[in-house]
Amino acid sequence: MPGYVLAGLVLGSIYAVSALGLVLTYSSSRVVNFAHGVTAYAVAVFYHWLNHEQGWSILPSAAVSLLVFAPALGLFLWAVLFRRLTHAPPTTRFLATVGLWVALPAAVRLVFPFSQGEINAPQGLAKLPASVFHLSALDVSINANQIAVLAGAVVVVVGMTALLRATPIGLATRASVDSPRSAEVSGINTTLVTAGSWMVGTALAGLAGILLTPILGLADLEFTLLLVVSLAAAVVGRLTSLPLTFAGALVIGLILGISVDFLPAHGVLTTGFRPSVPFVVMLLCLLLYQGLGRERFEVDLRAGPVEREVPAPPPPRGWRAAVGPGIVAVALFSVPLWLNGFWIGVVSQGVALAVLFLTFTIVTGEGGMLSLVQATLAGIGGLITAALATHSSIFGWQVPNPFSSSVGWPLGPAILAGALVAVPVGLLVASLSLRLGDVYLALATLAFALLVEQLVFARHEFDQFGAGIQLGRPMLLGIDFNDRTSFFLLLAAVFCVVALVAVNLRRATTGLVLAAMRSSEQAAATTGVSVVRAKLLAFAASSFVAGLGGALFAITIGRASPNSFNVLIGIVWLAIVATWGVRSVVGALVAGLLFAVVPQLVAEHLPASWADVPTLLFGLGAIGLAREPRGIIFTVVNATRRARGGRGTLALTQPPVR
Amino acid sequence: MTDPLLAADDVSVRFGGIVALDAVDLAVPERSIVGLVGPNGAGKTTLFGVLSGLQHPGRGRVRLAGIDVTRATPQRRARLGLARTFQRLELFTELTVRQHLVVARRVREGRDRSLLRDAAGLGRRPSPGEDAAVDGLLELLELRDVASLPVSMIPLGTGRIVELARALATEPRVVLLDEPTSGLDVHETRQVGAALRTARSERGVAFVLVEHDVELVLELCDDVTVLDFGRVIAHGPPASIRADAAVQAAYLGTPTDGAVTR
Repeated sequence: MPGYVLAGLVLGSIYAVSALGLVLTYSSSRVVNFAHGVTAYAVAVFYHWLNHEQGWSILPSAAVSLLVFAPALGLFLWAVLFRRLTHAPPTTRFLATVGLWVALPAAVRLVFPFSQGEINAPQGLAKLPASVFHLSALDVSINANQIAVLAGAVVVVVGMTALLRATPIGLATRASVDSPRSAEVSGINTTLVTAGSWMVGTALAGLAGILLTPILGLADLEFTLLLVVSLAAAVVGRLTSLPLTFAGALVIGLILGISVDFLPAHGVLTTGFRPSVPFVVMLLCLLLYQGLGRERFEVDLRAGPVEREVPAPPPPRGWRAAVGPGIVAVALFSVPLWLNGFWIGVVSQGVALAVLFLTFTIVTGEGGMLSLVQATLAGIGGLITAALATHSSIFGWQVPNPFSSSVGWPLGPAILAGALVAVPVGLLVASLSLRLGDVYLALATLAFALLVEQLVFARHEFDQFGAGIQLGRPMLLGIDFNDRTSFFLLLAAVFCVVALVAVNLRRATTGLVLAAMRSSEQAAATTGVSVVRAKLLAFAASSFVAGLGGALFAITIGRASPNSFNVLIGIVWLAIVATWGVRSVVGALVAGLLFAVVPQLVAEHLPASWADVPTLLFGLGAIGLAREPRGIIFTVVNATRRARGGRGTLALTQPPVR
Repeated sequence: MTDPLLAADDVSVRFGGIVALDAVDLAVPERSIVGLVGPNGAGKTTLFGVLSGLQHPGRGRVRLAGIDVTRATPQRRARLGLARTFQRLELFTELTVRQHLVVARRVREGRDRSLLRDAAGLGRRPSPGEDAAVDGLLELLELRDVASLPVSMIPLGTGRIVELARALATEPRVVLLDEPTSGLDVHETRQVGAALRTARSERGVAFVLVEHDVELVLELCDDVTVLDFGRVIAHGPPASIRADAAVQAAYLGTPTDGAVTR
């Protein structure tokens, strides 16, 4: 047996352990935990802290991490978050776990400051340097780490099988998974079963995390990939079958392991190949399962109870409708009057981001689609703009410059081109994902985003050793926007126009159609709505806005760098937008401003070790959505309207008729 | 006989090893009310799925207004004049009752395609005649009092009537009604019956009615098809269905003193 098959098997076993945890928690509570990768990260860091920082030996460190810390973490997260999500609408479920995905690593870095720096050669469950054995029967060398992984996987499989098949706990779990309600009426404590499954699921994630670190290090990207592979394996198992999930993870691991031997050691092909494997596996499965005419994925996921909530008072009409937006606009445009040059620059970043954030307002807020690719689309907008503006070449292809005699395009057309290029990319993702409901769309977009990041953004022409491409401020329609104030006013104007268009669409037939589609695609379709067309349009519009916002943001910070648009920043963006209201354009503005201003304030007034505090807050905000899914702006506006009462609002005391 | 408005020919659907529909024929002439009855699990809702385009049949064809729509999307069928309601309510939870009718009507007019106009802020105005038409429907179905309420606030029975109103707002030629009176009280049931008759006489709409209220079916329908285990076991005018022994055995139970019980 060649070594790389063994390496693949080892990697696959780790992914399989993690995927089992993901499926277990999904089955018991119907929540796909997008924070699964970072829970693994948290446990791995804790283990490293005990083992390396505190000097404990391997066995007690592992025992405390996996048998005490991980279950406690799982129980805690279940009690404060996941418990509330089971009956929440899909968007809330998704955004709250994204919030956790954002908050947890930040919390870990604050609690364990050593994890802020690079961790060299972390130790797994085998002592380093790992001893190597030669198995002559199979003609392969195996090291102690690999033995630990395989042993761990076997223990997990045997343990889980025994637990689920041969114990009363297992019976209760299987019953609860099949039908929580029937299980409950037969006297099974489903709450206990669910809590238990989150404890076990977190421990499995933790085990995978600890096993992964000696192979791939304690780094963010590896844990994102761990999440994506686990999700892909879970799709192989239709989010329910443990054996199929296990097999899926093994196969993905084997493909990744074996590929090492065939791909060049460095280069875009190699880095791009790894994230593309889970993506391709996931797409193939989704196509295959549909081709077999099995159940549609959406059915299962939408089975939650219908959202029932007290409706908002209707918005005011006539001149009153203009008061709120008017105040916001005046406040925005007056910023240069009361801030100095430096802070105008910071706020400019915020407004540019606010334009970008409207992409979430359109695709998730209005379209009701859960997308994790928006930051990538923004990156495409920014990078294409920068590439055109500096050297007019993309992928080594020299783009003709019809606008001027110099090498680079003028910024105006370059921005427009960047935004337009994002549209077909967005449409490509959308068309791949049209038939996927909710979380599967989120999954596919996440995998796609990683793919673009590794395959396109990592190219030297864009990356420039992490520095990105420099950009100046534009000259548009004969007006020079080179000074901070005029550029700020330009950004504010762009935001107002895009926000106005978004609000116009919402209040017109388009908005009604999208609202219809969000509630019931079937009813919308049988009423004559082309669901495919509506989704594609929403995706196209959101891609354009993402590209536009990405370009403006890049100009504001002076460079277009792939690092500004990576998947992990994208989820922080989504979390903060969701906190303030994913349906609200004012929410997008507040989110953009806070994202730019808060870290600056923290950097100026608090010690450097607090750098993760803003991220933690942004994540916690999204987690808070489990209580009020419509965000802070909605809550505030609604409360004011209620407090004012009466005039022009619907009497809420009116009883339901008959 | 002329070509029916809506027809299923030899439709079969399998789910794994289960035959949900087995060579089912159904014909709905213009301006008719056709009843579709049968015990739970007989395949009625599956047949509605096939007719409305949410379910692809393994075999057989569906024709609507003379066009083969077997492979057509639900929205194409809707634009050809087919509307439906759902047994498990599929309301647009964020919209008011009135907005349900408005969106249905505007989609019918093609206003869901006027994106640029909407973006420019011109899309909020009602179309000419829209207010009158919507008000008329609200009046017909006695929904005026709840018109401005979001559907999340209305009771189940009213929700069924909103689904019927939404279907009628698309100005359909034929409407599929999946248990429109389940959960409704006596008054509401009568109201639905009256609305169906009015819609037929004034708008020329045809209906296919899946219904457990057998008396209502026999009273309202021109023609009844009985399904059992995915097969048509009887078909004919209400009087002959009432007398059919196979139907009674499968579905209606034994008649006692002239009263039909389930």
